[in-house]
Amino acid sequence: MSENVITAKNLTLAYDTTDKIINNASFTIQKGDFVFITGPSGSGKSTLLKAFYGNLKPQEGELNIGGLDMMNIIKHKLQELRTHLGIVFQDYKLINEWTVEKNVVLPLWIAGYTADVQSSQAKRLLHHVKLTGKEEKYPLELSGGEQQRVGVARAMAKNPFLILADEPTGNLDEYSSNVIWDLMENACQQLDTTIVVVTHRIPMMFNIPYRHFSIDAGGNVREVH
Amino acid sequence: MKFIKTHLSLIFPLMAILLGLEFFIVFDRTTESFEKSLKNGYTMMVVAKNEMSIDDFRSWDKHVLKVEEIKKSKILNSVNIDFEKEKGENLESSLPNFYSIKLNKYLSISELAEVKANLKKSEDITRIETFNSVYQSQYELFSFIKFSFNTFIVFMTIIGFFLILKQMEVWNFLHAQRMKVMEIFGASLFLRSKVLINLAIIDAILSAVITSGIFFIIQNMWIRDTQMSILKENVESVFYLSDFFILLFAAIFIVLVAVFLVVINVKEEE
Repeated sequence: MSENVITAKNLTLAYDTTDKIINNASFTIQKGDFVFITGPSGSGKSTLLKAFYGNLKPQEGELNIGGLDMMNIIKHKLQELRTHLGIVFQDYKLINEWTVEKNVVLPLWIAGYTADVQSSQAKRLLHHVKLTGKEEKYPLELSGGEQQRVGVARAMAKNPFLILADEPTGNLDEYSSNVIWDLMENACQQLDTTIVVVTHRIPMMFNIPYRHFSIDAGGNVREVH
Repeated sequence: MKFIKTHLSLIFPLMAILLGLEFFIVFDRTTESFEKSLKNGYTMMVVAKNEMSIDDFRSWDKHVLKVEEIKKSKILNSVNIDFEKEKGENLESSLPNFYSIKLNKYLSISELAEVKANLKKSEDITRIETFNSVYQSQYELFSFIKFSFNTFIVFMTIIGFFLILKQMEVWNFLHAQRMKVMEIFGASLFLRSKVLINLAIIDAILSAVITSGIFFIIQNMWIRDTQMSILKENVESVFYLSDFFILLFAAIFIVLVAVFLVVINVKEEE
């Protein structure tokens, strides 16, 4: 029997009490699932992702991530949960005054791994995202595609059980997009990592089975079969 | 250059506060001995019909510390009139009693007037003479200097705090993004503020060392060569080693409060 990584029951999300963004959603996402969430602009795709990493507290219903109730999660537990997540942002959210290598190993640094482990992991990941030799560069010295590949490498640094990606290839060239999708496919297949990607468009050439959730303008979530 | 700019922008306001603090400590310490010498230089002379003990004086005012009887013969000698022995004895016995009074602490002019009024309540005391014109002018000058100095210290401290508030805004601008990203990846409050804490503690140590250095130089290179007796007499009070630890503790306390306020005000983006 598959293990549920994300469980939502009658989940409602809102930034204030009147405007509901996600309306009464119920679904489960299991270990090893690759999930695309699509929908028109403003439909609540990114909001749903924020709720998954505890940036937004559910207004009603239940949301369970990795066995933790996100409605009543305490700060300390949320911090701990986040150290087991990999998050990729459309605007990269890299630390500009840190080198590429330091950015990549941020989750390992937070978890207290030794400098040797951090360094070897950075080399391995930068090799996978085709950025070998750019360890000592700063994010602003890289192109947008390269910065996003650093962001993806950072998300995978600690082998998280769940990767959440918000429009990871939104503004990227084809080469960078392909590198990122390859990497995510491999993580899902080889490491059994659960991956949830918010996107406007599912890539044409996607090589592994995936699930597709669609959100309409009213914030209703449904699975597309 | 960037390193120097980053550090000086906190070191200068911190030093303004620490200099104010150290000036206050030193001024308090040196003026204590000055106040003591003023107190010792003050004389109150009392003329009493009957003999009075120190307890009699104290029963009228608690500030009386020491009472010295002035010998009548001494007073007659000082007048320097050549009386016959018998007449002289009669005159001496008819004279009232004279006392010189020392007080237990340095009193303000109004407090001195109060002491005088209290002693005058005694029926035995017929006259009180104070020799306070020098005392009063010294006291008033001293009070004025003390007030001016404390006002200067308060203003310096306020300006220092305002500059630190400005620096906190700069920190917020420079470090907020990094702290937000680290929070998303589960970093604790301590880890998020570690960079800022390290920076602030280095600046606190440098500020305390520089401020202590300034006072050490003033004590050992300037005051020891000066001709001003009031400074020379108090040269040891200008800087104690313990002052460095007081300054260091104060600096670290101020920067940690500043860092804490910056860190808790960085909210995760929604």
